[in-house]
Amino acid sequence: MSSSNSIHSSAMKFAVKAWSNGRARAGVLHLDCCPTPIDTPSLLLSTRKGLPLFISPDLLPSLPSPDSHLLHVSPLHFLEGLSMTTISKIGGLHQMLGLHEYGFAAVPRDSIQCLPEANSTNKVGASFETPCGRLLIKPAEYMEMISSLRPELWATLADEVPAWVSDKRNKTSVDRTIKWLDECIALSPTGGAVFGAIVGGSSLEERQRCAQEVARRNVSVLEYHD
Amino acid sequence: MALRFEVLGRFNRARAAHLTLPHFVCETPLFMPVGTQGTIKGLTTNQLEEIGCQIILGNTYHLALRPTSELIDELGGLHKFMNWPRAMLTDSGGFQMVSLLHLADITEKGVTFQSPVDGKPMLLTPEESIQIQNRIGADIIMALDDVVRTIITGPRIEEAMYRTLRWIDRCIAAHKRPHEQNLFGIVQGGLDPVLRDICVRGLVDRNLPGYAIGGLAGGEDKDSFWRVVAQCTAALPEDKPRYVMGVGYPLDIVVCSALGADMYDCVYPTRTARFGTALVPEGLLKLKNRAMSDDTRPIDPACACMVCKNYTRAYIHSLVTKDAMGSQLLSYHNLYYMMQLSRNLHSSIVQGRFPEFVCNFLQKMFPKGDIPEWVCNAMEVAGIDISSCCAPFPSAQD
Repeated sequence: MSSSNSIHSSAMKFAVKAWSNGRARAGVLHLDCCPTPIDTPSLLLSTRKGLPLFISPDLLPSLPSPDSHLLHVSPLHFLEGLSMTTISKIGGLHQMLGLHEYGFAAVPRDSIQCLPEANSTNKVGASFETPCGRLLIKPAEYMEMISSLRPELWATLADEVPAWVSDKRNKTSVDRTIKWLDECIALSPTGGAVFGAIVGGSSLEERQRCAQEVARRNVSVLEYHD
Repeated sequence: MALRFEVLGRFNRARAAHLTLPHFVCETPLFMPVGTQGTIKGLTTNQLEEIGCQIILGNTYHLALRPTSELIDELGGLHKFMNWPRAMLTDSGGFQMVSLLHLADITEKGVTFQSPVDGKPMLLTPEESIQIQNRIGADIIMALDDVVRTIITGPRIEEAMYRTLRWIDRCIAAHKRPHEQNLFGIVQGGLDPVLRDICVRGLVDRNLPGYAIGGLAGGEDKDSFWRVVAQCTAALPEDKPRYVMGVGYPLDIVVCSALGADMYDCVYPTRTARFGTALVPEGLLKLKNRAMSDDTRPIDPACACMVCKNYTRAYIHSLVTKDAMGSQLLSYHNLYYMMQLSRNLHSSIVQGRFPEFVCNFLQKMFPKGDIPEWVCNAMEVAGIDISSCCAPFPSAQD
């Protein structure tokens, strides 16, 4: 694991401020777009097509600030009814959603509707079950979405598998995730902090292997759990 | 009487006024959004205040079923229950007689419903309706009337009109809070001018705080609709508010205001929003339409609402009918549009430019000048010259 306690990119600065006796740490996240820094650990607000469910943007300021300034976005939501060309034309997430003082963290899956479909994922792309059917997302397509949306933080494409798959399948998921990590980095737009995905199921060795590979690429990390 | 009605400006029959109610001083003409079950679907009370909403409507029938008027009373009245600080109007439950007729039986005593919640019979008498409305606590309450759809003809209409007059006396007698709540009478009589006249006179004799024109907005032809409104506004007292129930479309509101009406209510703006349709000066914008998917303009470039200031048609298109936020944003815009229309009607009359406003409104909606005949006829009676927005006289039909 990286021993540095701060990270910088053009859009994001993170520093650890304090540690517990164990491994817990409190930190602070600065995003260019957010007027005040965000304390970590921090919860991302779920969104559907970029806006929180049921809370329209004019009501968002009634939630505690700055803790509610980080929004999770799933790029897959926009495949239903909004082309990447149009999103680019509008100017990306901030312009499209009218939320200029909020930070967006793009992760392919969400926790309810766009879920990884490990059986259909193959060497070409990651498969997801979505409201508009099963979709196979290749790294290049994913990066096109990231380039149009322009979130502050984004995760690389991962091959997420459930804990009960075979060791062989688990190992494959790590190999693929690392390969896609490199493909995503190669296509990454300027600005925007990259979070490398860490998979490996419940195998400590595979998790470590994945983490070491991600650390070598000197990006932030995003750890997936089932 | 718990209201004051002060006319600030006129143009022929049209008038702009201050309507002072216990909870709020309103400017008329005004549109009232419908909050059937103690809420306007898709908006918070904060948002309603922000867009300039003055009065909202609650439904006695629905609230009596759930959560019951006793509970609302216990919790301090509907204002407190739903956290709405401004004015409120409850209807009597009468319209539900018409819209839920397969469950209802109307007699001289009242209306028996079969409760849609648990099948038990529910009797709504004039007394019961007023008692429920007394408990709910709105600024304006409506008399229980015998409502008949205007598409029906025959003796039923006459029976309903006379019954409405008999019921108004029972409503007045049952009303326990006349100094806090204003009981409005409702003019019935179908499309028959004789019956309507009898009903107007009967209600005016009772010297009520305000009057509504009921039984319209139910599918009758537009020509009959405006004539009934014109007849009633001409006969109702000058110094009291006139409320056309169930109206409606922006065009209808402009015409009725020209004829001398002051208040309106309808579910249309919020309901049509949930189907993906936005109200715009040109008429309607159907956001579901494929052409919207790459249209980066706002819904209405001239609109100052939060939705038009922040969102493109393309984004809203991706939401409508699929995500609740689409309904919320469109409902917000549509209600803002109706509030802006109310403000424009009031200010244009006060500032002495009502005819210009009407012409401008019609020009945007009918750019080719093909204004419907009923509108032209109504405006003639209203004394408003719209010849500048009408196309030249059409040539003989082929």
